[in-house]
Amino acid sequence: VTPSGPTPVQAAREAARRGRLRQPTAWFRLGILAAFALVPLVAPSFKVTDLALKIALFATLAASYDVVIGYTGIVSFGHAMYFGIGAYAVALALGKLGGVTYGHLGLGFLAGILVSAAVAALIGAFSLRVKALFFAMITLAFAEFALILAVQWTPLTGGEDGLSPRLPGVFAVSWAGGQFLGVPLGARSVTYYAVLAACLALFLVMSRFVHSPLGRTLQAIRDNELRAEALGYRTFVFQLAASSFGSVVATVVGGLYAVWVRYVNPESTLGVPIMLDVLLMVIIGGLGTLYGGIVGAAVLLGARTLLPDLRALGAAVAPGSEILQRLADRWLLYFGVLFILVVFFFPKGVLGTLREARSRPASEPARPPIRT
Amino acid sequence: VTQVTKTRLLVLTTVALLLAPLLSIEPRTYLTLSVAGLAMGMLIFLVASGLTLIFGLMDVLNFAHGALFSWGAFVGFSIAVALDRRFQWATSGSVGANLLILLLALTATVLVTAALGLLLERVIVRPVYGQHLFQILITLGATIVLEELIRIVWGPNDQVMPVPVTLQGSWDVADVVVLRFPVVAIGLGLLVYAGMRLVLNRTRVGLIVRAGVENGEMVQVMGHNLSRYFTGVFAAGSGLAGVGGLMWAMFSQSVRPAMGGEQLVFAFIVVIIGGLGSVTGSLVGALLVGLSYNYVAFLLPKAAIGVNMALMVLILLLRPTGLFGAGK
Repeated sequence: VTPSGPTPVQAAREAARRGRLRQPTAWFRLGILAAFALVPLVAPSFKVTDLALKIALFATLAASYDVVIGYTGIVSFGHAMYFGIGAYAVALALGKLGGVTYGHLGLGFLAGILVSAAVAALIGAFSLRVKALFFAMITLAFAEFALILAVQWTPLTGGEDGLSPRLPGVFAVSWAGGQFLGVPLGARSVTYYAVLAACLALFLVMSRFVHSPLGRTLQAIRDNELRAEALGYRTFVFQLAASSFGSVVATVVGGLYAVWVRYVNPESTLGVPIMLDVLLMVIIGGLGTLYGGIVGAAVLLGARTLLPDLRALGAAVAPGSEILQRLADRWLLYFGVLFILVVFFFPKGVLGTLREARSRPASEPARPPIRT
Repeated sequence: VTQVTKTRLLVLTTVALLLAPLLSIEPRTYLTLSVAGLAMGMLIFLVASGLTLIFGLMDVLNFAHGALFSWGAFVGFSIAVALDRRFQWATSGSVGANLLILLLALTATVLVTAALGLLLERVIVRPVYGQHLFQILITLGATIVLEELIRIVWGPNDQVMPVPVTLQGSWDVADVVVLRFPVVAIGLGLLVYAGMRLVLNRTRVGLIVRAGVENGEMVQVMGHNLSRYFTGVFAAGSGLAGVGGLMWAMFSQSVRPAMGGEQLVFAFIVVIIGGLGSVTGSLVGALLVGLSYNYVAFLLPKAAIGVNMALMVLILLLRPTGLFGAGK
């Protein structure tokens, strides 16, 4: 029997689509986007612009990790590796292995995506079938290996010193500049808007991904793998697809990072600290929220930029006290304590807690979304 | 192919692989490398032994293990420096004084790190038993706090660890260079291994702990306060982390606040290679890692760091539960 009208699910989706602009969150998201777009026009210094775009970049990276860990329930410690692969691919295509043209820029992104997809598929193919914990460890091993490779393979990667790619055309530092709607534009602003637009596009693609039937299936697998399997889904294939997709997005973000920072080294793109940062961002923002990454990135990067100023404050309040000076120096300590408290009392993160409060006031106590 | 033949094949392959370097290394160098590898393996085992209890047995993903390792190193460092400054126990050649300073530093280290472990388990680990992701997150937070506390108490810089004179240098046994300190480490490692085997397999406490891991409710029904036992195991594992930290600090003759994080990956690899919950597995895994690292470092220096990862991936491909894993 073929139903004539839309199914109840389709009807509900259609209603949600029509009511989309009436939701306050939609306007809130647009507001955030507008704020990001306005930053280079009103920012007093390059430091602020840089911070804003890094927040956008890391928010996208955190969201791509969220697709893997929050929506699919796979704990991977190798996500930073894909970020690094993207950054190195673009830097190499514009430098040692290519030339400074738009074509090579595109080729760099393409090569990074292909390498990442292949690596992600390979790792997933032989380690997603075993215990979830081992997947975490194997990805950690691969990430460590990638870091070592980048440090040791000096002729190609420049070792610890890294690479400083030059960018083509309108992105180049030497670009004379132009006018857009009467506003003078430099290479920095053009790069800023290009990277921001790319981040926005990635966010839209990820949003589309997690809300697609495929994304729904992933969430079903996350919540109860056995049930999903019993319903006839080949969970392994779905998990493989999700982890590969997240990895590819992370690769593109890595390439964008290389374009904005114009400097790629092992420490800033491949290291374990980057992985931890991304994990912390996702947790602070909220697992399985996608947009939580923005909150997490803003909190973490903002704290990292602003909190070292505590030192100056400490010196001003009590000059000469060494132990106080050390206490003020170690802003990371307070961050650690805060982090433990957040994990304990808001296990769903900022956005997750807000969402829960909005949809189900005073409902069941917060439960962690994943059990491996 | 039966299970027994499979195991035999695995053992034979391992032995063959370990002897393979003989093809391109002359026997005397091979022997020196093997002794160094065994010593390094024992040091790694000391680090991993605590993690075997906490991660392997209790199934807690304790990322703070590395921070406890650093704490152990720094506490031992403080004791050693204080005693050496006052009595010159490390710089004097007296064997008794040298051993005494090692013993005192070890005791203080174990006490402090076990106390820290107790605190960690009671305050932050207990609410997240059985939830891996939250264990990772909570213990990561604890790692940040513990490492920062080290930087506040001892300052952020590297420091030189005083090593008792007797433990420095090497012996020359039939043209094979045998470093002294690793021999002490091997002895201590064997002692720890024997002690763990004894307690876990031959005592009532070990029985209750192992039963509690298998079926906690049943053990509690039988009237044992399991959470107290688990706290004890966690504290013991933390104390072992401290021992590992102190020994590693003496081996590398320096202490750094971040030293634990680097060893943590090693320790996790060893526990996974050996099979979760198996003390013997950890020992074998650690020795394998130490030996293969030394051989590869001699033959292909650049590939040395990747060899542990390769070893883990290989073993997990062949035996997904690790070498001695029960396969839960």
